Amino acid sequence: MKPILECQGLTKKYGNFFALSNLNLTLERGQIIGLLGPNGSGKTTLIKLANGLLTPTDGHIIINSMSPGVETKKIISYLPERSYLNTHMRVEDILTYYVDFYENFNLSRATAMLKDLEIDTHARLRSLSKGTKEKVQLVLVMSRDADLYILDEPIGGVDPAARDYILQTILTNYTENATVLISTHLISDIENVLDSVVFLQYGQLVLNATVDEIRSQRGKSVDALFREVFRC
Amino acid sequence: MLGKLIKYDLKYGYKIILIVHAVLMVACIMGRFVLNKVDFRAPSEALGAMLAIFIALFALLIAGVSFATCAVIAVRFYRNLFTDEGYLTWTLPATPLEHLWSKIISGVIWYTFDILLCYLGLLILVTGDNVVSLYTQIAPEMTEALGMSFSSFTLYIVLFSLFSTLASVIMIYASITIGQLFPGHRILGAIISYFALSFIIQIFTLVCMLLFNLFPYVGDTMTGSTASHYLFSSLGLGVLLITITAIPEYFITHYIMKKKINLI
Repeated sequence: MKPILECQGLTKKYGNFFALSNLNLTLERGQIIGLLGPNGSGKTTLIKLANGLLTPTDGHIIINSMSPGVETKKIISYLPERSYLNTHMRVEDILTYYVDFYENFNLSRATAMLKDLEIDTHARLRSLSKGTKEKVQLVLVMSRDADLYILDEPIGGVDPAARDYILQTILTNYTENATVLISTHLISDIENVLDSVVFLQYGQLVLNATVDEIRSQRGKSVDALFREVFRC
Repeated sequence: MLGKLIKYDLKYGYKIILIVHAVLMVACIMGRFVLNKVDFRAPSEALGAMLAIFIALFALLIAGVSFATCAVIAVRFYRNLFTDEGYLTWTLPATPLEHLWSKIISGVIWYTFDILLCYLGLLILVTGDNVVSLYTQIAPEMTEALGMSFSSFTLYIVLFSLFSTLASVIMIYASITIGQLFPGHRILGAIISYFALSFIIQIFTLVCMLLFNLFPYVGDTMTGSTASHYLFSSLGLGVLLITITAIPEYFITHYIMKKKINLI
């Protein structure tokens, strides 16, 4: 089966600064992958490139054998690290918006999750707390039947109880062939759900290994390995 | 996809646009009522001053309503594409071209709506019995001065305005998009770009007017067809130039949207 994401010599420069430098990486399907690295290591740049929000300076990024475009946007469900919804909209309007634009959006799943989280669909987004807004965004993203879910800092702003629900949501909502790429600093919280990890530093690949390999060969948790590799 | 994008673009800010135009309509209806009560046969200084204030107020109101429409169009474009909302907009399964045309079509729809309602408001304001009977007295002189009847003259102005909506919308979008190339000063960049583009068009107009000898001779009294000829040549030239400059503006906007987007 074709890999879901491939980077070939992927480079992104901002002025003289290399956000990503000659990155070669392949992500297979059916995994939950942690995209880890210190601040400024190029995680968000990679995510933006995968979503077609940036154009590479050099090299290629290929999603399901295609360059980023309309077809790849149909199969990627992306959660940005920030609030990206028009806060004047009501939750129910946003659900309609997703139904209108994404053929693979599962409205009943979204409604059920919002009910579980006790979020009022009549409420306007601006009246919701920061954490609740993040939950709404995650519900929207996980309610799409996508091939690749890209979650940038999905659990940063929510309480530990909601964090558990969200991780459970991620685990139960992705299908066998779908891939979940999660970028986060809270490694210990998500370590148990990860199949493999990608470590980035200075825009380059430092490590691409399964969690089992890290545990069996190095005898360390991902969190411990991260602290060792990126020691300041 | 284009239809859906346009639907949401029109949905944004429609309340503001409808409210300001409703206010304009109500003001024009009330103005018509007031004008019908004024006795124009007894001219006095007080009447002159009152009319001057009246005209200034309506000019301000119409300018304000048009500015509000323009602001809604610009804010929608900026917020939807270049702020945090852009993270959702740019990851919808649509091409940059579809995004651009959705914004152009919705912008032209709002601009056209604004122009038609502003002229309709003016029509309501000045077609009361009182004003009409007063105008009948000076109609031959006005026709002579304009070189055509006042209604034909107005129709031409409306057509000129409608024709320039597309180019005006593209100019707003081009300014905002060029402004995105200045990270950290995006809004300032957009405003400077807008003034720079306006300045370029003005310079072009001036040069063309000189080249085609469209300036009225100084000291010459302009009457009849000379005046309207001058007015329409300069207006036509303005519309023509803004349309011509809209072509590179359109391509620049599309190029930046396709290749140079960098959301912060």
